[in-house]
Amino acid sequence: MIIALGNDHIVTDTKIKISEMLKAMGHKVIDVGTYDHTRTHYPIYGLRVANLVRDGKADYGVVLCGTGVGISTAADKNQGIRAALVADTTAAKYAKEHLNANVISFGGAVVGEHLAEEIVKTFLAADYLGEDDDLVKKIDAVESEDNPEQHDNPHFYDHEMKLWDEGFYHD
Amino acid sequence: MKIALASDKAGFELKNYIKEYLENEGKDYEVVDLSEEPAADFVDSSLLVTHAVLDGKTDRGIMFDEYGTGSAMASNKVHGMVTANVTEENTAHMTTQHNGAKAIAIGAGIVGKKRAESIVDEYLGVNYAGGRHQIRLDMLEKLY
Repeated sequence: MIIALGNDHIVTDTKIKISEMLKAMGHKVIDVGTYDHTRTHYPIYGLRVANLVRDGKADYGVVLCGTGVGISTAADKNQGIRAALVADTTAAKYAKEHLNANVISFGGAVVGEHLAEEIVKTFLAADYLGEDDDLVKKIDAVESEDNPEQHDNPHFYDHEMKLWDEGFYHD
Repeated sequence: MKIALASDKAGFELKNYIKEYLENEGKDYEVVDLSEEPAADFVDSSLLVTHAVLDGKTDRGIMFDEYGTGSAMASNKVHGMVTANVTEENTAHMTTQHNGAKAIAIGAGIVGKKRAESIVDEYLGVNYAGGRHQIRLDMLEKLY
C-alpha cells in the first residue's frame, strides 16, 4: 500500500520510526514532513496528507503531532477524508471497520513507540466491514461546504506564514 | 462556565454520570444537557454540542459515544470546530492550552468513570494559551 505520513516538529523522531516500520512491511511511504525539529505548524502537514489520500495518490494517511488533536482535525476538514484520533488499537480497529476511516492519528508524545507501531499496524490490517454505509455517509454529509482553494495548493498558507515570519504571532 | 453535554446510546450512562459530577461537586459550571434522551447516533449528538458551542450558547462541550473517535470525526467536519478525542489527562489540558479545543469527545467504551472525571477536570480547568498557537488555529479556520 501507499501510506502518506505527516507530522509536526514535536514528533519527527516517532514519525521516522513509523516510516521505517512501514517500509520494512513492504509499504511505500510518502513522507510530507516536517523533517526536522524546527518549529512549524501542524495544519500544513495534515492538509498535505489529506490531499494525497483525497486524490488517490495514497491509500491511507498517518498523521501525528504532540497530542494528535491538531493534525487530525486539520486532515479531517477535507471532503472525502475521515480522520480518526485514537490512543489504542481497539479504537484504531473500530475506526477502520465501522467508520471506514482513511487517516489514522495518535499523539506522538502521548503513546509510546511500541503502541504507536501497533496502532498503525492494526489500522492497516483491519478492513471496513461494510455494515455502516449510512453512518459513513452521514459523517461525510456533515461537511457540506468545500473550499477548492485548500486542495493541492502549495500557497494556501502563504499569508499566515508571512505574518509568522514578521513576528505577528508571539507568546 | 456553561458546558454542553450530549450523547448517543452507548455514551449515555457516562454522560449522566459526568453531568452529576459537574453539578454536584461544588463546581462552578452550568451544565446544558442537550440529550435528556440518547441521540439517534453520535453524529447527531456531536452536532448538538458543536452548534451549541459555535453559536455561543455554551463556552465548551463534551460529547459521549462508545469510542470517542466518531464524535470527534463528525464534529470536526464543521467549519470552525475543534474537537479532541481524549482518553487521558495530559491531552485533556494540552488540547485546551494549545488547540483551544471547543469540545472534547469521550468514548464510554474506552474511558472509565474515574478517568472521565479527571479528564473533564483537566479540560475545563485551564485556558487557551494563544501566542504562537494562534497561527495554527487561524490555519484550521481556513479549512472547510
